Amino acid sequence: MTDSTAADWTFRAANVTKTFGDLRANDAVTLEIRPGEVYGLLGPNGAGKTTLVKQVIGLLKPTSGSLTLGPYDLVDDPDAARQLCSYLPQAQMPIDSFKARQVIVLTGMIRGGDAAAVRKRADELIEELDIGEWSETLGTRLSGGVKRLVGFAMVTAWPGRVVILDEPTNDVDPRRRRLLWQQIRRLGDQGSSVLLVTHNVLEAEKSVDRLAIINDGRLIAEGTPSSLKSEDRGRMRLQLMVVPGRPTPEMPVFVENHTRVGNNVMTVIAETDSAHGIGWAQELVGLGVIEEYALAATTLEDVYIRLTGHTSEDPTAEALA
Amino acid sequence: MTALEAGVSTLTPVRSGMGHWLQSYAMMTRWEIGNLRLLLPLIVALQIVIGGGFALGIGLFFDTIPMRNALFLSTGVAVVTLITVGLVLGPQLVGNQKVAGTYDFMWSLPVPRTTQAAAWLTVNTIIALPGMVAALVIANWRYDLPLVVSWSIFPAVLLTIVTATMVGYAFAHAIPKPMVTQMITQLLIFTILGFSPINFPPENLPEWLASLNLWLPFHHMANVMRAGLTEGLVTSVGTSYLVLTAYTIASVVLATWVVGRRD
Repeated sequence: MTDSTAADWTFRAANVTKTFGDLRANDAVTLEIRPGEVYGLLGPNGAGKTTLVKQVIGLLKPTSGSLTLGPYDLVDDPDAARQLCSYLPQAQMPIDSFKARQVIVLTGMIRGGDAAAVRKRADELIEELDIGEWSETLGTRLSGGVKRLVGFAMVTAWPGRVVILDEPTNDVDPRRRRLLWQQIRRLGDQGSSVLLVTHNVLEAEKSVDRLAIINDGRLIAEGTPSSLKSEDRGRMRLQLMVVPGRPTPEMPVFVENHTRVGNNVMTVIAETDSAHGIGWAQELVGLGVIEEYALAATTLEDVYIRLTGHTSEDPTAEALA
Repeated sequence: MTALEAGVSTLTPVRSGMGHWLQSYAMMTRWEIGNLRLLLPLIVALQIVIGGGFALGIGLFFDTIPMRNALFLSTGVAVVTLITVGLVLGPQLVGNQKVAGTYDFMWSLPVPRTTQAAAWLTVNTIIALPGMVAALVIANWRYDLPLVVSWSIFPAVLLTIVTATMVGYAFAHAIPKPMVTQMITQLLIFTILGFSPINFPPENLPEWLASLNLWLPFHHMANVMRAGLTEGLVTSVGTSYLVLTAYTIASVVLATWVVGRRD
C-alpha cells in the first residue's frame, strides 16, 4: 500500500450486498465516486442508504461485494477505512460536555491533523458557517441546527479522502444551510469525494454532481441531475392543493401518475396537455374540491417520485431499522 | 492557501504503528475526560462516599468486630469498589452512547479501537482509585487496622481493575441492548458480593463453592489485594497472581476481539 498522490483515489462500491436475516438491506449496489465529486445518495427512509455508508466506514461488514478507495480495500482494512473516510452520522453527536470550538479542534486532531493547522481550520469553518457566537458555548446549550453545523465542522476540520455526510442539513436554518452547501462544495473542490446521504431531493438537485436513487436496497437510477430528468423532458408537474378533508379527485386519462401527501396531490402530465390540465384544475377549484393549483416544469423530485413511489418528505415512508 | 487546502493537499496518509497508537490513546483519553468533565467530580465524589460508607456500614453487622473480620471486610470493600466501577460504570456509559445515538460516531473515529478501550480503562482507574483509597483510609480510622502497605499493591490493583473494566467493556459492546448488559452486570455484582470470598475468608463458604471460586477471578483479586495491604493474612498469593494474570490476559483478548468485530 502506498499513499502515492499519483494513485487513483476513486471510491468504488462493487456489488455490495448486505443482508440481515431475510432482509436485503443492500442488494448488489455498484457505484463510483471520483475525487472532487459531490455524489448524492437519495432514497426514502429504510431504502438502505445508512446501511451502505456504515459499511464504507467499517461499522458493518458487507455480506458480499467489495468497497475500495484507491489502493485500499475498505472491507479488509477497517482501520484504514476509518482514517480515509470522515463520517457525519444522522444521529446526535456526542458534544454535550464540550465547547463548540474545542470539540471541532479535538476531533480534527483525532483525525490526524496537527494542532496549529486544525485550530486555523476550525476558526475558518466557524466563521464561514457563521457560528462564531457559539464557539465557546457548551454543546448541551446549543440548538439542534447549531449542533449539526458543529458536527459538520468536527468531521471536516481535517477531512478524509471520502467525506460521508448523512443528512447534514437537518435542523439547520435556511441561511446557514446555504453556507453549509458552500462548504460541502468546497470539500469537493479541494479533492475530497463527498458522499451525501439525503432524502431532500430538491436540495440535492442544486448541489450534487451526480446522484444515485436507492430503493428497497437497490440502486434504481444513477446519473447527473439533468440526465435523470431527461426522461421527464416534455412533462409538466401539475400540483393540486386539495381542500382539507376532501378525497383525491378522480384523475383524467391525461394524468400519467399522481401522488398524494397530506392535502398535496402531485400529478405529472405531458407538456402538450398543459391546457387540458389547467382547465381541469380550474374546474376543480370551481367545484370546491381543491383550493389552488400550480403548473411547473418537472424537477428531480418528480423523477424520484416516479421511481420510488415516495415524495422526499413522505411521512408515511416505512422506517427500517 | 487556506487550512483546508493544506489539509487536503496532504490528504490523511494512513497511519499505523506504535506512535499512532500512543498518539490516538492520548487523544481518546482527552476525549473521554472531556466528555465526562461535567460529571467526573460527581462520579469520583460518589465513589468516595460509597467506598467510605461501605467501610463504615459493615461494622454495624457486629457488636464488636473481630480484627480478622475487620481486615477481610475493609480490604474486601477496596476490591469491591474496583470491580463495581469496571463492571457497572463502563456498561452504563456505553449504554448511554447507544441510547443517545452517538455510538456510531465514536466508533467511526480514525483511531485503533484498542486505544478507545485503553482510554476508558484510564478514566475508569481515575474514577475508581479515590473510592478505594477512601474505603481503606476510613476503615483504618474506624477499626484501627494493622495495615502494611507494600509495593505489590500496584500490580494487584492493576490486574483487578483491568480485568473488571475489560469484562464490563466487552459486555457493553457485545450486547446490543444496554438494558440486558445492565441486568447481566448487576447480577454479576450481586453474585460476586454474596458468593465470592471477597469480604470474608473462603472457609466461610460451603466447600464446593470455595473450590469453584478457585477457578474464578474474584477470590484471587481479593487475595492479591490483601497480600499488598496486610501481612500474614492470606496464603497462596503466587497462585492467585497466576490465575488472575490469566484472567486479565483473557479479558483483554476478549475486549480486543469484541471491539474489532463487525456485524
